[in-house]
Amino acid sequence: MSNQSGNIYGLTILSPIKDDPHGEISHSLAIRMYLQTLPVDGKGPFGKVSSTHMARLVVLDDVVYFGMPSCEEHLKSKYLIFESNFDGELEPYLKQLAAEAGDEVHNIWQHCIGYPGVQNVDAFVAYMKRCQVETTFYFADVNDKTVQQTLKALQTQSAVASFIENNQGKPPDQLQAAFVEFLRRLSIAPRPKPGSTKGKELADELL
Amino acid sequence: MSKLDVTDIQGVAVRGYNFPFARFLFLKFSDKQKGRECIGQLVKHVTTAERWDQGKPKTTVNVAFTYPGLVALGLPEPSLLSFPVEFVQGMKARGAILSDTGKNSPHHWDPVWHGEVHAWLGVFAQLQPDLDRRCLELLTLLQESGAAAMTGSQDAAALQIDGKITTKEHFGYTDGFGNPEFLGLEKDAQPGQGKLAADGKWMPLATGELLLEYADEAGELPVAPLPHLLANNGTFMVYRKLHQNVATFRKYLKEKGELYPGGVEKLASKFIGRWRDGTPVELSPDKPNPTIVQDKDRNVNFTFGNDLDGARCPVGAHVRRTNPRDAFGFNGKLINRRRISRRGMPYGPYTPEDQPGRDDEEHGIIFMALNASLFRQFEFVQQQWIEYGNDARQGNDKDMLIGNHGGCGKVMIQGTADHDNPPFLCGALPNFVELRGGDYFFMPSITALRMIAANSVDPR
Repeated sequence: MSNQSGNIYGLTILSPIKDDPHGEISHSLAIRMYLQTLPVDGKGPFGKVSSTHMARLVVLDDVVYFGMPSCEEHLKSKYLIFESNFDGELEPYLKQLAAEAGDEVHNIWQHCIGYPGVQNVDAFVAYMKRCQVETTFYFADVNDKTVQQTLKALQTQSAVASFIENNQGKPPDQLQAAFVEFLRRLSIAPRPKPGSTKGKELADELL
Repeated sequence: MSKLDVTDIQGVAVRGYNFPFARFLFLKFSDKQKGRECIGQLVKHVTTAERWDQGKPKTTVNVAFTYPGLVALGLPEPSLLSFPVEFVQGMKARGAILSDTGKNSPHHWDPVWHGEVHAWLGVFAQLQPDLDRRCLELLTLLQESGAAAMTGSQDAAALQIDGKITTKEHFGYTDGFGNPEFLGLEKDAQPGQGKLAADGKWMPLATGELLLEYADEAGELPVAPLPHLLANNGTFMVYRKLHQNVATFRKYLKEKGELYPGGVEKLASKFIGRWRDGTPVELSPDKPNPTIVQDKDRNVNFTFGNDLDGARCPVGAHVRRTNPRDAFGFNGKLINRRRISRRGMPYGPYTPEDQPGRDDEEHGIIFMALNASLFRQFEFVQQQWIEYGNDARQGNDKDMLIGNHGGCGKVMIQGTADHDNPPFLCGALPNFVELRGGDYFFMPSITALRMIAANSVDPR
């Protein structure tokens, strides 16, 4: 199953974008304009769906023609590409997306052909699955660890570096005592929030 | 490929002169026509890449231009528009890419860089009086031409210790080892330069990694200005004045060296990847070895393939970051398009090792590097290998020595279970080096200089 790599699911969705020759602006431009208004830090829609490692939304107009000797080809419609690498199974993820980021999902997918809305969650899930194509490549930095494991690992890495810096060269008994205390603090330290860039500060605080 | 025309290439583009004295003059042109006439006079002084079979000259002269300089000389617009974008923008505008921020940002630069610099005149000499005489001669020429004013100058000189000229820099390291070799340029081949071949031997890099209009390592031609003759045998130069905080460095090394079981000198060697006498730690991890330093077949001839954990030469050591050789696998192929030729030279007086030194004294290194593509070569090394650590698997860690740490950098020194070679973490890294100015320059061939002088650059 190439859509799954260990615990990680690689989702690729191609939703055809509506074509309305009488619209004030094209549906593809409407999506682009809306996407530009979304926050880029942890406050964006995927920050709310905390199992997301990486997500990307792209408006694909057509195949770009590079001139001879390549041959000229065209798509049947414009497409919205949605890629996401997340923890766990597909259906719960899509349901969470509809529940946690329903407004954003609606504002984006309302410009796509066949989109049934998010009110009827089963219809939304069925629609998204109809648009799904097989994922063959994952985001390069995604491994087999969950978002939560990754955040904890980054916090631990940063904390261990600070611990070493503050304690290297100490006599064994002092070093051991410091390490026991360090482990205790680390085990109760609050986990960094998804999208957080504060891992270093959190790690420093607990020391 | 055919032999290169050494009479057409500027000498400093293809070799370091190893002269102990230098002065760099920064010019600003005030008149197009007079400026071009002035270049016509200057070109007669320019030192080419011809061999010095009759002995070294007393002085050398080379010239290079910024983009505003080429505009000021009235190059036709289609030629100007054909230059690569990073050169057109200039180094100041590339600050975000280069991490020239904070203490390295332009408002900390020397006054000359606050105005427009049009040209760099590089004069090297074997003796100080010869340098002064040659510079006076050039300045008289400039003055008589009425074409250009000198807006600033920078002296540089090999450090003299106990009256002897050395190859040391201000932090006490022996500098100037190794530069890539290029196809077609006659040189004493030294194993360890150039690129690694499949059989483990070293070969020259493609000429197009240094000079324009020759095939590079990918068989491509780097972006170069039109017409062909303007670009051919030319190259791009980076000039960066790097101030060295000698007191900060000595204090930091002493403090950490006292904690490090291998001692101060070993820690100093781990920072750079060379002992302070120049011995590569990869070849001699436990002690300096002058025999290796003096042996041209060995002093740049090493690889990291058998030291991937950095137990001998740390993964983040300066020489390993800036020239990773085979450290990233694929027999070193990943780095062949990221090589630069350096022409560095210290400035300011030497502070004896037994003194704490000062940060605010005027001393540092004039870093000059030549490459065919500023974007692909210098800027990549600066952005990815110096100011970022991902390729070396060092996360966000920066180059220990020249990284813009801002007081909160760290670097991991890998080690072994041996008592005097343990893993060691250096934190709270300050900026040992601060940028004090510089820019990107185009160094044309002799033919191109004469075309500029004759106003015959024709891009059609």
